[in-house]
Amino acid sequence: MTASTHVSSDERIRSLEGHARDIRRAIVSMVHTAQSGHCGGSLSAADVVSALYFDLMNIDPSKPRMPGRDRFVLSKGHACPVLYAALALRGYFPVEELSTLRKNSSRLQGHPVSTYLPGVDATAGSLGLGFAQAVGMALEGRMLKADYHVYALLGDGELNEGVVWEAASTAAKFGLEKLVAIVDRNNLQNDGKADDIMPMEPIDKKFEAFNWRVLTMDGHDMAEVLATLEASNEPTGRPTCIIARTVKGKGVSFMENKREWHGKAPSDDEYSMACKDLEGGCT
Amino acid sequence: MSLAKSKTPTRRALAERMLEAGSERDDFVVFESDIGYSTYSYLFGDAYPERYFNLGIAELGTMATAAGMAAEGRPAIVCGYGVFLSMRALEAVRSFICYPRMNVKIFSSHGGVTAAVDGVTHQATEDIAFMATLPGMTVLAPCDSASARASFDLALGIHGPVFVRLMRDPLSELYPEGTEFSIGGCHTPRKGDDITIVSYGDLVFQALEAAELLATEGINAEVIDMYSIKPWDRQALRLSLERTKALLVVENHQRKNGLGYELAAWCMREGVSVPFAQLGLDDTFAESGSYPLTIQKFGMDAASIAAAARKLAAAKY
Ligand SMILES: Cc1ncc(C[n+]2csc(CCOP(=O)(O)OP(=O)(O)O)c2C)c(N)n1
Ligand SMILES: [Mg+2]
Repeated sequence: MTASTHVSSDERIRSLEGHARDIRRAIVSMVHTAQSGHCGGSLSAADVVSALYFDLMNIDPSKPRMPGRDRFVLSKGHACPVLYAALALRGYFPVEELSTLRKNSSRLQGHPVSTYLPGVDATAGSLGLGFAQAVGMALEGRMLKADYHVYALLGDGELNEGVVWEAASTAAKFGLEKLVAIVDRNNLQNDGKADDIMPMEPIDKKFEAFNWRVLTMDGHDMAEVLATLEASNEPTGRPTCIIARTVKGKGVSFMENKREWHGKAPSDDEYSMACKDLEGGCT
Repeated sequence: MSLAKSKTPTRRALAERMLEAGSERDDFVVFESDIGYSTYSYLFGDAYPERYFNLGIAELGTMATAAGMAAEGRPAIVCGYGVFLSMRALEAVRSFICYPRMNVKIFSSHGGVTAAVDGVTHQATEDIAFMATLPGMTVLAPCDSASARASFDLALGIHGPVFVRLMRDPLSELYPEGTEFSIGGCHTPRKGDDITIVSYGDLVFQALEAAELLATEGINAEVIDMYSIKPWDRQALRLSLERTKALLVVENHQRKNGLGYELAAWCMREGVSVPFAQLGLDDTFAESGSYPLTIQKFGMDAASIAAAARKLAAAKY
Protein backbone atom coordinates (compact mmCIF):
# COMPACT_ATOMS: atom_id res chain seq x y z
CA MET A 1 0.00 0.00 0.00
CA THR A 2 1.11 3.59 -0.24
CA ALA A 3 3.75 4.51 2.28
CA SER A 4 2.14 7.84 3.03
CA THR A 5 -1.25 7.25 4.56
CA HIS A 6 -0.46 8.80 7.90
CA VAL A 7 1.81 11.71 7.14
CA SER A 8 0.87 15.29 6.47
CA SER A 9 0.97 16.39 2.87
CA ASP A 10 3.94 18.67 3.51
CA GLU A 11 6.02 15.91 5.01
CA ARG A 12 4.99 13.64 2.20
CA ILE A 13 6.21 16.11 -0.40
CA ARG A 14 9.52 16.81 1.41
CA SER A 15 10.15 13.13 1.71
CA LEU A 16 9.53 12.49 -2.00
CA GLU A 17 11.76 15.41 -2.91
CA GLY A 18 14.45 13.79 -0.81
CA HIS A 19 14.04 10.49 -2.63
CA ALA A 20 14.20 12.32 -5.96
CA ARG A 21 17.51 13.87 -4.89
CA ASP A 22 18.86 10.46 -3.92
CA ILE A 23 17.75 9.09 -7.27
CA ARG A 24 19.50 11.93 -9.11
CA ARG A 25 22.73 11.35 -7.19
CA ALA A 26 22.60 7.66 -7.97
CA ILE A 27 21.95 8.35 -11.68
CA VAL A 28 24.96 10.61 -12.06
CA SER A 29 27.22 8.36 -10.08
CA MET A 30 26.23 5.16 -11.88
CA VAL A 31 26.66 6.72 -15.34
CA HIS A 32 29.98 8.18 -14.23
CA THR A 33 31.16 4.77 -13.04
CA ALA A 34 29.97 3.06 -16.22
CA GLN A 35 31.37 5.90 -18.36
CA SER A 36 28.39 5.28 -20.57
CA GLY A 37 24.65 5.86 -20.35
CA HIS A 38 21.97 8.52 -20.52
CA CYS A 39 21.93 11.27 -17.88
CA GLY A 40 19.62 13.89 -19.40
CA GLY A 41 16.43 11.87 -19.81
CA SER A 42 17.03 10.05 -16.53
CA LEU A 43 17.31 13.28 -14.56
CA SER A 44 14.20 14.80 -16.17
CA ALA A 45 12.12 11.85 -14.97
CA ALA A 46 13.47 11.60 -11.42
CA ASP A 47 10.61 13.42 -9.69
CA VAL A 48 7.86 11.43 -11.39
CA VAL A 49 9.67 8.16 -10.72
CA SER A 50 10.19 9.15 -7.07
CA ALA A 51 6.47 9.83 -6.61
CA LEU A 52 5.52 6.54 -8.23
CA TYR A 53 8.00 4.26 -6.48
CA PHE A 54 8.05 5.91 -3.06
CA ASP A 55 4.40 6.78 -2.76
CA LEU A 56 1.71 6.02 -5.30
CA MET A 57 2.42 2.60 -6.67
CA ASN A 58 1.10 -0.42 -4.89
CA ILE A 59 4.28 -2.47 -4.83
CA ASP A 60 6.24 -4.72 -2.53
CA PRO A 61 9.98 -4.93 -3.20
CA SER A 62 10.09 -8.34 -1.50
CA LYS A 63 7.48 -9.62 -3.99
CA PRO A 64 8.50 -8.09 -7.30
CA ARG A 65 6.11 -10.29 -9.31
CA MET A 66 3.12 -9.83 -6.95
CA PRO A 67 0.09 -10.27 -9.25
CA GLY A 68 -1.91 -7.26 -8.04
CA ARG A 69 1.00 -4.82 -8.09
CA ASP A 70 0.98 -1.64 -10.12
CA ARG A 71 3.18 -1.87 -13.18
CA PHE A 72 5.72 0.64 -14.44
CA VAL A 73 6.91 0.48 -18.03
CA LEU A 74 9.89 2.64 -18.86
CA SER A 75 9.13 2.91 -22.55
CA LYS A 76 12.01 5.36 -22.95
CA GLY A 77 14.30 2.54 -21.89
CA HIS A 78 17.52 4.50 -22.40
CA ALA A 79 16.62 6.36 -19.17
CA CYS A 80 17.00 3.13 -17.16
CA PRO A 81 19.43 4.71 -14.66
CA VAL A 82 16.39 6.46 -13.15
CA LEU A 83 14.56 3.15 -12.87
CA TYR A 84 17.55 1.19 -11.55
CA ALA A 85 18.20 3.92 -8.96
CA ALA A 86 14.58 3.90 -7.76
CA LEU A 87 14.46 0.11 -7.58
CA ALA A 88 17.71 -0.15 -5.63
CA LEU A 89 16.82 2.66 -3.23
CA ARG A 90 13.38 1.11 -2.73
CA GLY A 91 15.01 -2.19 -1.79
CA TYR A 92 14.55 -4.45 -4.81
CA PHE A 93 18.26 -5.19 -4.95
CA PRO A 94 21.42 -3.92 -3.22
CA VAL A 95 22.36 -0.32 -3.92
CA GLU A 96 25.98 -1.45 -4.48
CA GLU A 97 24.83 -3.29 -7.58
CA LEU A 98 24.21 0.07 -9.28
CA SER A 99 27.94 0.30 -9.94
CA THR A 100 27.70 -2.69 -12.30
CA LEU A 101 25.60 -0.74 -14.82
CA ARG A 102 26.44 -1.78 -18.40
CA LYS A 103 29.21 -4.13 -17.29
CA ASN A 104 29.51 -7.72 -18.49
CA SER A 105 27.32 -10.21 -16.60
CA SER A 106 25.44 -7.40 -14.84
CA ARG A 107 21.69 -7.54 -14.31
CA LEU A 108 21.75 -3.82 -15.04
CA GLN A 109 21.82 -4.02 -18.80
CA GLY A 110 22.26 -0.91 -20.95
CA HIS A 111 18.52 -1.03 -21.54
CA PRO A 112 16.18 -2.77 -19.09
CA VAL A 113 15.32 -6.46 -19.42
CA SER A 114 12.31 -7.60 -17.44
CA THR A 115 13.44 -11.11 -16.60
CA TYR A 116 16.93 -10.10 -15.50
CA LEU A 117 16.33 -7.70 -12.65
CA PRO A 118 13.61 -7.85 -9.98
CA GLY A 119 11.21 -4.94 -10.32
CA VAL A 120 11.66 -4.35 -14.04
CA ASP A 121 8.20 -4.95 -15.49
CA ALA A 122 8.98 -4.66 -19.19
CA THR A 123 11.90 -4.97 -21.56
CA ALA A 124 12.53 -1.73 -23.40
CA GLY A 125 15.09 0.23 -25.38
CA SER A 126 13.54 0.32 -28.81
CA LEU A 127 11.38 3.42 -28.57
CA GLY A 128 7.62 3.07 -28.94
CA LEU A 129 7.49 -0.64 -28.23
CA GLY A 130 7.52 -0.32 -24.45
CA PHE A 131 4.31 1.65 -24.60
CA ALA A 132 2.59 -1.01 -26.70
CA GLN A 133 3.61 -3.60 -24.11
CA ALA A 134 2.10 -1.39 -21.39
CA VAL A 135 -1.16 -1.47 -23.35
CA GLY A 136 -0.95 -5.27 -23.41
CA MET A 137 -0.44 -5.36 -19.64
CA ALA A 138 -3.45 -3.10 -19.10
CA LEU A 139 -5.52 -5.23 -21.47
CA GLU A 140 -4.66 -8.29 -19.37
CA GLY A 141 -5.68 -6.36 -16.22
CA ARG A 142 -8.99 -5.49 -17.83
CA MET A 143 -9.60 -9.11 -18.82
CA LEU A 144 -8.91 -10.24 -15.24
CA LYS A 145 -10.94 -7.34 -13.81
CA ALA A 146 -7.81 -6.63 -11.75
CA ASP A 147 -7.26 -3.40 -9.86
CA TYR A 148 -3.72 -2.67 -10.85
CA HIS A 149 -2.62 0.42 -12.75
CA VAL A 150 -0.07 0.45 -15.53
CA TYR A 151 2.12 3.54 -15.73
CA ALA A 152 4.11 4.03 -18.91
CA LEU A 153 6.79 6.70 -19.18
CA LEU A 154 7.45 7.97 -22.71
CA GLY A 155 9.86 10.52 -24.12
CA ASP A 156 8.49 13.39 -26.18
CA GLY A 157 10.77 12.36 -29.05
CA GLU A 158 9.43 8.84 -28.66
CA LEU A 159 6.03 10.18 -29.71
CA ASN A 160 7.45 10.34 -33.27
CA GLU A 161 7.15 6.56 -33.55
CA GLY A 162 4.01 5.45 -35.39
CA VAL A 163 3.54 2.51 -33.03
CA VAL A 164 2.86 4.96 -30.18
CA TRP A 165 -0.30 6.00 -31.97
CA GLU A 166 -1.29 2.43 -32.79
CA ALA A 167 -1.00 1.65 -29.09
CA ALA A 168 -2.93 4.81 -28.18
CA SER A 169 -5.79 3.75 -30.47
CA THR A 170 -5.87 0.29 -28.92
CA ALA A 171 -5.98 1.67 -25.38
CA ALA A 172 -8.92 3.92 -26.25
CA LYS A 173 -10.79 1.18 -28.13
CA PHE A 174 -10.73 -1.05 -25.05
CA GLY A 175 -11.30 1.78 -22.59
CA LEU A 176 -8.15 0.97 -20.62
CA GLU A 177 -8.87 3.38 -17.78
CA LYS A 178 -6.12 1.94 -15.58
CA LEU A 179 -3.47 2.84 -18.11
CA VAL A 180 -1.58 6.07 -17.46
CA ALA A 181 0.89 7.32 -20.07
CA ILE A 182 3.27 9.98 -18.78
CA VAL A 183 5.04 12.01 -21.45
CA ASP A 184 8.38 13.41 -20.29
CA ARG A 185 8.03 16.66 -22.19
CA ASN A 186 11.61 17.94 -21.96
CA ASN A 187 11.60 19.24 -25.53
CA LEU A 188 14.86 17.54 -26.45
CA GLN A 189 15.59 14.34 -28.29
CA ASN A 190 18.85 12.98 -29.71
CA ASP A 191 19.45 15.40 -32.55
CA GLY A 192 18.03 18.60 -31.09
CA LYS A 193 14.87 20.23 -29.85
CA ALA A 194 11.89 17.95 -30.14
CA ASP A 195 9.85 20.81 -31.62
CA ASP A 196 12.41 21.14 -34.43
CA ILE A 197 13.25 17.51 -35.17
CA MET A 198 9.62 16.48 -35.57
CA PRO A 199 6.94 18.89 -34.36
CA MET A 200 4.35 16.92 -32.36
CA GLU A 201 2.34 19.77 -30.81
CA PRO A 202 -0.44 19.97 -29.91
CA ILE A 203 0.31 16.79 -27.96
CA ASP A 204 -2.67 17.28 -25.63
CA LYS A 205 -5.11 17.67 -28.52
CA LYS A 206 -3.61 14.66 -30.29
CA PHE A 207 -4.23 12.39 -27.29
CA GLU A 208 -7.70 13.91 -26.80
CA ALA A 209 -8.47 13.17 -30.44
CA PHE A 210 -7.40 9.58 -29.75
CA ASN A 211 -10.05 9.53 -27.01
CA TRP A 212 -7.71 9.82 -24.05
CA ARG A 213 -8.18 12.01 -21.00
CA VAL A 214 -5.28 14.48 -20.82
CA LEU A 215 -3.76 16.09 -17.72
CA THR A 216 -0.73 18.34 -17.59
CA MET A 217 1.71 19.12 -14.79
CA ASP A 218 5.03 20.65 -13.93
CA GLY A 219 7.07 17.47 -13.74
CA HIS A 220 9.43 18.92 -11.14
CA ASP A 221 6.85 20.34 -8.72
CA MET A 222 6.30 17.45 -6.35
CA ALA A 223 2.95 18.70 -5.05
CA GLU A 224 1.66 18.97 -8.58
CA VAL A 225 3.17 15.63 -9.58
CA LEU A 226 1.44 13.90 -6.68
CA ALA A 227 -1.90 15.58 -7.23
CA THR A 228 -1.89 14.84 -10.96
CA LEU A 229 -0.84 11.22 -10.57
CA GLU A 230 -3.59 10.78 -8.00
CA ALA A 231 -6.12 12.37 -10.31
CA SER A 232 -5.04 9.99 -13.07
CA ASN A 233 -6.42 7.11 -11.02
CA GLU A 234 -10.01 8.36 -11.10
CA PRO A 235 -11.93 6.03 -13.37
CA THR A 236 -13.31 7.71 -16.49
CA GLY A 237 -13.65 4.83 -18.90
CA ARG A 238 -10.71 6.23 -20.86
CA PRO A 239 -6.93 5.92 -20.60
CA THR A 240 -5.11 8.95 -19.19
CA CYS A 241 -2.15 10.81 -20.63
CA ILE A 242 -0.18 13.11 -18.35
CA ILE A 243 2.03 15.62 -20.07
CA ALA A 244 4.87 16.36 -17.63
CA ARG A 245 6.65 19.60 -18.48
CA THR A 246 10.25 18.86 -17.56
CA VAL A 247 13.83 20.01 -18.03
CA LYS A 248 16.25 17.51 -19.53
CA GLY A 249 19.22 17.10 -17.18
CA LYS A 250 17.22 18.65 -14.30
CA GLY A 251 19.28 19.19 -11.16
CA VAL A 252 22.73 19.33 -12.74
CA SER A 253 23.14 22.90 -13.95
CA PHE A 254 25.51 22.24 -16.85
CA MET A 255 23.40 19.37 -18.14
CA GLU A 256 20.10 21.22 -18.10
CA ASN A 257 18.52 21.76 -21.51
CA LYS A 258 21.64 20.58 -23.30
CA ARG A 259 21.35 18.22 -26.26
CA GLU A 260 24.92 17.04 -25.65
CA TRP A 261 23.92 15.49 -22.34
CA HIS A 262 21.40 13.10 -23.87
CA GLY A 263 23.75 10.14 -23.93
CA LYS A 264 27.07 11.21 -22.51
CA ALA A 265 28.89 10.23 -19.33
CA PRO A 266 30.45 12.86 -17.07
CA SER A 267 34.24 13.03 -16.75
CA ASP A 268 35.73 13.02 -13.24
CA ASP A 269 35.69 16.82 -13.12
CA GLU A 270 32.17 17.04 -14.43
CA TYR A 271 31.15 14.43 -11.92
CA SER A 272 32.45 16.51 -9.01
CA MET A 273 30.67 19.55 -10.40
CA ALA A 274 27.46 17.58 -10.71
CA CYS A 275 27.75 16.35 -7.13
CA LYS A 276 28.06 19.94 -5.93
CA ASP A 277 24.85 20.79 -7.78
CA LEU A 278 23.01 17.86 -6.26
CA GLU A 279 22.55 18.97 -2.66
CA GLY A 280 24.26 16.72 -0.20
CA GLY A 281 26.91 15.53 -2.67
CA CYS A 282 27.29 12.07 -4.13
CA THR A 283 28.19 8.87 -2.39
CA MET B 1 52.31 -6.98 -38.60
CA SER B 2 51.13 -4.24 -36.30
CA LEU B 3 48.34 -2.03 -37.55
CA ALA B 4 47.81 1.64 -36.89
CA LYS B 5 45.13 2.39 -34.32
CA SER B 6 42.18 4.10 -35.90
CA LYS B 7 40.75 7.38 -34.64
CA THR B 8 37.75 7.25 -36.93
CA PRO B 9 34.99 4.68 -36.60
CA THR B 10 33.68 3.36 -39.93
CA ARG B 11 30.34 5.12 -39.33
CA ARG B 12 32.21 8.42 -39.34
CA ALA B 13 34.61 7.62 -42.18
CA LEU B 14 31.70 6.84 -44.47
CA ALA B 15 29.77 9.94 -43.36
CA GLU B 16 32.82 12.12 -44.09
CA ARG B 17 33.00 10.66 -47.59
CA MET B 18 29.26 11.33 -47.95
CA LEU B 19 29.87 14.96 -47.06
CA GLU B 20 32.59 15.25 -49.74
CA ALA B 21 30.37 13.55 -52.29
CA GLY B 22 27.69 16.13 -51.60
CA SER B 23 29.67 18.63 -53.65
CA GLU B 24 30.65 16.13 -56.34
CA ARG B 25 27.09 15.24 -57.23
CA ASP B 26 23.91 17.06 -56.40
CA ASP B 27 21.36 14.32 -56.99
CA PHE B 28 21.25 12.22 -53.80
CA VAL B 29 19.40 13.00 -50.59
CA VAL B 30 19.97 11.72 -47.04
CA PHE B 31 17.34 10.53 -44.57
CA GLU B 32 17.93 10.33 -40.83
CA SER B 33 15.80 9.22 -37.87
CA ASP B 34 17.08 11.34 -34.99
CA ILE B 35 20.48 9.79 -34.50
CA GLY B 36 22.37 12.04 -36.87
CA TYR B 37 24.97 12.85 -34.22
CA SER B 38 25.63 9.16 -33.89
CA THR B 39 25.64 8.19 -37.57
CA TYR B 40 27.47 11.47 -38.33
CA SER B 41 24.91 12.16 -41.03
CA TYR B 42 24.63 15.61 -39.44
CA LEU B 43 27.89 16.49 -41.23
CA PHE B 44 26.01 16.24 -44.51
CA GLY B 45 22.88 17.82 -43.02
CA ASP B 46 24.76 20.91 -41.83
CA ALA B 47 26.34 21.40 -45.25
CA TYR B 48 23.29 20.54 -47.36
CA PRO B 49 20.21 21.23 -45.26
CA GLU B 50 17.92 21.19 -48.31
CA ARG B 51 19.04 17.63 -49.16
CA TYR B 52 18.79 16.28 -45.60
CA PHE B 53 15.58 15.00 -44.04
CA ASN B 54 15.45 14.17 -40.35
CA LEU B 55 12.09 12.48 -39.84
CA GLY B 56 12.43 11.95 -36.10
CA ILE B 57 12.37 8.62 -34.30
CA ALA B 58 10.41 6.80 -36.99
CA GLU B 59 12.55 4.25 -38.80
CA LEU B 60 9.84 2.36 -40.65
CA GLY B 61 8.18 5.51 -41.95
CA THR B 62 11.58 6.97 -42.85
CA MET B 63 12.48 3.89 -44.90
CA ALA B 64 9.18 3.96 -46.79
CA THR B 65 9.49 7.71 -47.36
CA ALA B 66 12.95 7.16 -48.84
CA ALA B 67 11.45 4.45 -51.06
CA GLY B 68 8.86 6.96 -52.26
CA MET B 69 11.48 9.52 -53.14
CA ALA B 70 13.53 6.85 -54.88
CA ALA B 71 10.42 5.88 -56.84
CA GLU B 72 10.53 9.40 -58.23
CA GLY B 73 14.01 8.65 -59.50
CA ARG B 74 16.12 10.26 -56.81
CA PRO B 75 18.92 8.25 -55.17
CA ALA B 76 18.08 8.12 -51.46
CA ILE B 77 20.35 7.32 -48.52
CA VAL B 78 18.98 6.20 -45.14
CA CYS B 79 21.24 6.38 -42.07
CA GLY B 80 20.57 4.75 -38.73
CA TYR B 81 21.33 1.94 -36.30
CA GLY B 82 21.41 -1.60 -37.62
CA VAL B 83 18.83 -2.97 -35.22
CA PHE B 84 16.17 -0.48 -36.24
CA LEU B 85 16.97 -0.36 -39.96
CA SER B 86 17.19 -4.13 -40.36
CA MET B 87 14.21 -5.00 -38.16
CA ARG B 88 11.65 -2.26 -37.62
CA ALA B 89 12.10 -1.01 -41.18
CA LEU B 90 12.50 -4.48 -42.68
CA GLU B 91 9.21 -4.73 -44.53
CA ALA B 92 9.78 -1.40 -46.26
CA VAL B 93 13.26 -2.57 -47.25
CA ARG B 94 11.96 -5.84 -48.62
CA SER B 95 8.72 -5.01 -50.34
CA PHE B 96 9.17 -1.41 -51.39
CA ILE B 97 12.90 -1.14 -51.95
CA CYS B 98 14.29 -4.55 -52.93
CA TYR B 99 11.20 -5.88 -54.73
CA PRO B 100 10.79 -2.90 -57.09
CA ARG B 101 14.61 -2.41 -57.17
CA MET B 102 14.63 1.09 -55.77
CA ASN B 103 17.85 3.05 -55.65
CA VAL B 104 18.13 3.27 -51.85
CA LYS B 105 21.34 2.96 -49.85
CA ILE B 106 21.19 1.96 -46.22
CA PHE B 107 24.13 3.03 -44.05
CA SER B 108 23.71 1.04 -40.93
CA SER B 109 25.76 1.68 -37.80
CA HIS B 110 26.35 -0.35 -34.64
CA GLY B 111 26.71 -3.68 -36.46
CA GLY B 112 27.19 -6.81 -34.37
CA VAL B 113 27.99 -6.33 -30.69
CA THR B 114 30.08 -3.27 -31.46
CA ALA B 115 27.34 -1.34 -29.61
CA ALA B 116 28.35 -3.53 -26.69
CA VAL B 117 27.59 -1.24 -23.74
CA ASP B 118 24.07 -0.43 -24.94
CA GLY B 119 22.98 -4.05 -24.72
CA VAL B 120 20.94 -6.37 -26.88
CA THR B 121 18.25 -3.90 -27.97
CA HIS B 122 20.97 -1.92 -29.71
CA GLN B 123 23.13 -4.76 -31.06
CA ALA B 124 22.48 -5.70 -34.69
CA THR B 125 23.38 -9.37 -34.60
CA GLU B 126 20.91 -10.65 -37.20
CA ASP B 127 21.19 -7.81 -39.73
CA ILE B 128 23.32 -9.72 -42.25
CA ALA B 129 20.83 -12.60 -42.21
CA PHE B 130 17.87 -10.32 -42.86
CA MET B 131 19.55 -8.16 -45.47
CA ALA B 132 21.47 -10.82 -47.39
CA THR B 133 18.28 -12.89 -47.64
CA LEU B 134 16.52 -10.15 -49.62
CA PRO B 135 16.62 -10.64 -53.40
CA GLY B 136 18.48 -7.84 -55.13
CA MET B 137 20.17 -6.51 -52.00
CA THR B 138 23.91 -5.86 -52.03
CA VAL B 139 25.59 -6.14 -48.61
CA LEU B 140 28.94 -4.60 -47.69
CA ALA B 141 30.82 -4.62 -44.38
CA PRO B 142 33.98 -2.49 -44.33
CA CYS B 143 36.43 -2.78 -41.44
CA ASP B 144 38.39 0.48 -41.59
CA SER B 145 38.35 4.04 -42.89
CA ALA B 146 39.56 3.35 -46.42
CA SER B 147 37.10 0.52 -46.95
CA ALA B 148 34.25 2.52 -45.38
CA ARG B 149 34.92 5.46 -47.67
CA ALA B 150 35.12 3.10 -50.64
CA SER B 151 31.84 1.50 -49.59
CA PHE B 152 30.09 4.82 -50.03
CA ASP B 153 31.28 5.06 -53.62
CA LEU B 154 30.54 1.41 -54.37
CA ALA B 155 27.01 1.86 -53.02
CA LEU B 156 26.31 5.03 -54.98
CA GLY B 157 28.02 3.59 -58.04
CA ILE B 158 25.34 1.01 -58.75
CA HIS B 159 21.60 1.32 -59.20
CA GLY B 160 19.58 -0.54 -56.59
CA PRO B 161 19.54 -1.29 -52.89
CA VAL B 162 22.78 -1.55 -50.91
CA PHE B 163 23.18 -2.18 -47.19
CA VAL B 164 26.47 -1.13 -45.59
CA ARG B 165 27.21 -2.41 -42.11
CA LEU B 166 29.21 0.04 -40.02
CA MET B 167 30.66 0.05 -36.53
CA ARG B 168 30.42 2.22 -33.47
CA ASP B 169 34.02 2.31 -32.30
CA PRO B 170 37.31 3.01 -34.08
CA LEU B 171 39.53 -0.09 -34.22
CA SER B 172 42.53 -0.22 -36.57
CA GLU B 173 43.46 0.96 -40.05
CA LEU B 174 44.23 -1.88 -42.45
CA TYR B 175 44.12 -0.48 -45.99
CA PRO B 176 46.03 2.48 -47.39
CA GLU B 177 43.76 5.18 -48.80
CA GLY B 178 43.26 4.50 -52.49
CA THR B 179 43.10 0.70 -52.12
CA GLU B 180 40.72 -0.79 -54.70
CA PHE B 181 37.52 -2.38 -53.53
CA SER B 182 34.76 -3.88 -55.62
CA ILE B 183 31.29 -5.31 -55.24
CA GLY B 184 31.82 -9.05 -55.15
CA GLY B 185 35.49 -8.65 -54.27
CA CYS B 186 37.52 -9.43 -51.19
CA HIS B 187 41.00 -8.83 -49.85
CA THR B 188 43.47 -11.24 -48.36
CA PRO B 189 45.47 -9.25 -45.84
CA ARG B 190 47.40 -12.32 -44.78
CA LYS B 191 48.50 -15.25 -46.91
CA GLY B 192 48.88 -18.73 -45.52
CA ASP B 193 48.61 -22.38 -46.53
CA ASP B 194 47.24 -24.17 -43.48
CA ILE B 195 43.75 -22.79 -42.94
CA THR B 196 41.49 -20.12 -44.39
CA ILE B 197 39.88 -17.74 -41.92
CA VAL B 198 37.09 -15.68 -43.47
CA SER B 199 35.74 -12.67 -41.63
CA TYR B 200 34.41 -9.15 -42.16
CA GLY B 201 34.17 -5.89 -40.26
CA ASP B 202 35.65 -5.65 -36.77
CA LEU B 203 36.57 -9.30 -36.47
CA VAL B 204 39.01 -9.11 -39.38
CA PHE B 205 41.37 -7.57 -36.82
CA GLN B 206 40.80 -10.41 -34.36
CA ALA B 207 41.41 -12.91 -37.17
CA LEU B 208 44.68 -11.19 -38.06
CA GLU B 209 45.75 -11.25 -34.43
CA ALA B 210 44.85 -14.93 -34.22
CA ALA B 211 46.91 -15.58 -37.34
CA GLU B 212 49.94 -14.03 -35.64
CA LEU B 213 49.45 -16.29 -32.64
CA LEU B 214 49.08 -19.33 -34.87
CA ALA B 215 52.22 -18.43 -36.82
CA THR B 216 54.27 -18.78 -33.65
CA GLU B 217 53.03 -22.37 -33.47
CA GLY B 218 53.83 -23.08 -37.10
CA ILE B 219 50.28 -22.80 -38.40
CA ASN B 220 50.06 -20.41 -41.33
CA ALA B 221 46.57 -19.02 -41.55
CA GLU B 222 45.22 -17.18 -44.53
CA VAL B 223 42.86 -14.33 -43.59
CA ILE B 224 40.24 -13.22 -46.09
CA ASP B 225 38.37 -9.99 -45.49
CA MET B 226 35.04 -10.73 -47.19
CA TYR B 227 33.95 -7.07 -47.08
CA SER B 228 31.51 -7.77 -49.91
CA ILE B 229 29.11 -10.20 -48.27
CA LYS B 230 26.60 -10.25 -51.08
CA PRO B 231 27.68 -10.91 -53.70
CA TRP B 232 30.82 -12.59 -52.38
CA ASP B 233 34.01 -13.73 -54.06
CA ARG B 234 33.59 -17.42 -54.88
CA GLN B 235 36.75 -17.60 -56.95
CA ALA B 236 38.91 -16.28 -54.13
CA LEU B 237 37.48 -18.75 -51.64
CA ARG B 238 37.87 -21.67 -54.06
CA LEU B 239 41.51 -20.89 -54.72
CA SER B 240 42.25 -20.38 -51.06
CA LEU B 241 40.60 -23.64 -49.99
CA GLU B 242 42.43 -25.56 -52.71
CA ARG B 243 45.61 -24.69 -50.86
CA THR B 244 44.55 -24.62 -47.21
CA LYS B 245 41.82 -27.28 -47.17
CA ALA B 246 40.19 -25.93 -43.99
CA LEU B 247 37.65 -23.15 -43.48
CA LEU B 248 36.86 -21.10 -40.37
CA VAL B 249 34.26 -18.33 -40.68
CA VAL B 250 34.25 -15.69 -37.96
CA GLU B 251 31.52 -13.10 -37.77
CA ASN B 252 30.09 -10.63 -35.29
CA HIS B 253 26.61 -11.99 -35.93
CA GLN B 254 24.47 -15.02 -35.18
CA ARG B 255 26.07 -18.13 -36.62
CA LYS B 256 22.70 -19.03 -38.05
CA ASN B 257 22.04 -17.54 -41.46
CA GLY B 258 25.18 -15.47 -41.51
CA LEU B 259 28.07 -15.62 -43.97
CA GLY B 260 29.18 -18.93 -42.44
CA TYR B 261 25.95 -20.66 -43.47
CA GLU B 262 26.26 -19.16 -46.94
CA LEU B 263 29.84 -20.38 -47.42
CA ALA B 264 29.13 -23.82 -45.96
CA ALA B 265 26.16 -24.30 -48.28
CA TRP B 266 28.28 -23.25 -51.23
CA CYS B 267 31.01 -25.72 -50.28
CA MET B 268 28.44 -28.52 -50.14
CA ARG B 269 26.93 -27.57 -53.48
CA GLU B 270 30.32 -27.32 -55.15
CA GLY B 271 31.66 -30.50 -53.61
CA VAL B 272 34.39 -28.61 -51.77
CA SER B 273 34.85 -30.89 -48.82
CA VAL B 274 37.00 -29.35 -46.08
CA PRO B 275 36.85 -29.28 -42.29
CA PHE B 276 34.67 -26.32 -41.38
CA ALA B 277 33.88 -24.32 -38.24
CA GLN B 278 32.10 -21.11 -37.38
CA LEU B 279 32.50 -18.53 -34.65
CA GLY B 280 29.87 -15.97 -33.77
CA LEU B 281 26.83 -15.90 -31.51
CA ASP B 282 25.76 -19.49 -31.04
CA ASP B 283 21.97 -19.12 -31.03
CA THR B 284 22.13 -16.72 -28.10
CA PHE B 285 21.81 -13.02 -27.39
CA ALA B 286 24.89 -11.16 -26.22
CA GLU B 287 24.80 -8.63 -23.37
CA SER B 288 25.96 -5.22 -22.23
CA GLY B 289 29.64 -4.86 -21.55
CA SER B 290 32.89 -3.63 -22.94
CA TYR B 291 33.59 -4.60 -26.55
CA PRO B 292 36.78 -6.62 -25.81
CA LEU B 293 35.19 -8.54 -22.94
CA THR B 294 32.00 -9.15 -24.88
CA ILE B 295 33.70 -10.65 -27.94
CA GLN B 296 35.83 -12.70 -25.59
CA LYS B 297 32.85 -13.99 -23.63
CA PHE B 298 31.00 -14.94 -26.79
CA GLY B 299 34.02 -16.58 -28.39
CA MET B 300 34.84 -14.16 -31.19
CA ASP B 301 38.18 -12.78 -30.00
CA ALA B 302 41.64 -13.64 -31.27
CA ALA B 303 42.22 -16.37 -28.66
CA SER B 304 38.94 -18.12 -29.53
CA ILE B 305 39.71 -17.87 -33.22
CA ALA B 306 43.19 -19.32 -32.70
CA ALA B 307 41.75 -22.18 -30.65
CA ALA B 308 39.17 -23.03 -33.30
CA ALA B 309 41.77 -22.77 -36.05
CA ARG B 310 44.15 -25.14 -34.22
CA LYS B 311 41.43 -27.76 -34.00
CA LEU B 312 40.51 -27.42 -37.65
CA ALA B 313 44.09 -27.56 -38.82
CA ALA B 314 44.54 -30.74 -36.82
CA ALA B 315 41.34 -32.21 -38.26
CA LYS B 316 42.81 -32.07 -41.75
CA TYR B 317 45.15 -34.97 -41.14
C1 LIG C 1 13.28 2.75 -32.13
C2 LIG C 1 14.44 3.54 -31.62
N1 LIG C 1 15.03 4.42 -32.45
C3 LIG C 1 16.09 5.13 -32.04
C4 LIG C 1 16.58 4.98 -30.78
C5 LIG C 1 17.83 5.74 -30.35
N2 LIG C 1 17.49 6.77 -29.36
C6 LIG C 1 17.66 6.54 -28.05
S1 LIG C 1 17.12 7.80 -27.11
C7 LIG C 1 16.66 8.72 -28.45
C8 LIG C 1 16.04 10.08 -28.27
C9 LIG C 1 14.88 10.00 -27.35
O1 LIG C 1 14.29 11.24 -27.12
P1 LIG C 1 13.09 11.32 -26.11
O2 LIG C 1 12.09 10.28 -26.44
O3 LIG C 1 12.60 12.72 -26.13
O4 LIG C 1 13.74 10.91 -24.73
P2 LIG C 1 14.37 11.83 -23.58
O5 LIG C 1 14.47 13.23 -24.08
O6 LIG C 1 13.42 11.75 -22.45
O7 LIG C 1 15.69 11.23 -23.26
C10 LIG C 1 16.93 8.00 -29.63
C11 LIG C 1 16.64 8.49 -30.98
C12 LIG C 1 15.94 4.03 -29.95
N3 LIG C 1 16.37 3.78 -28.70
N4 LIG C 1 14.86 3.35 -30.38
MG1 LIG D 1 12.78 14.30 -24.83
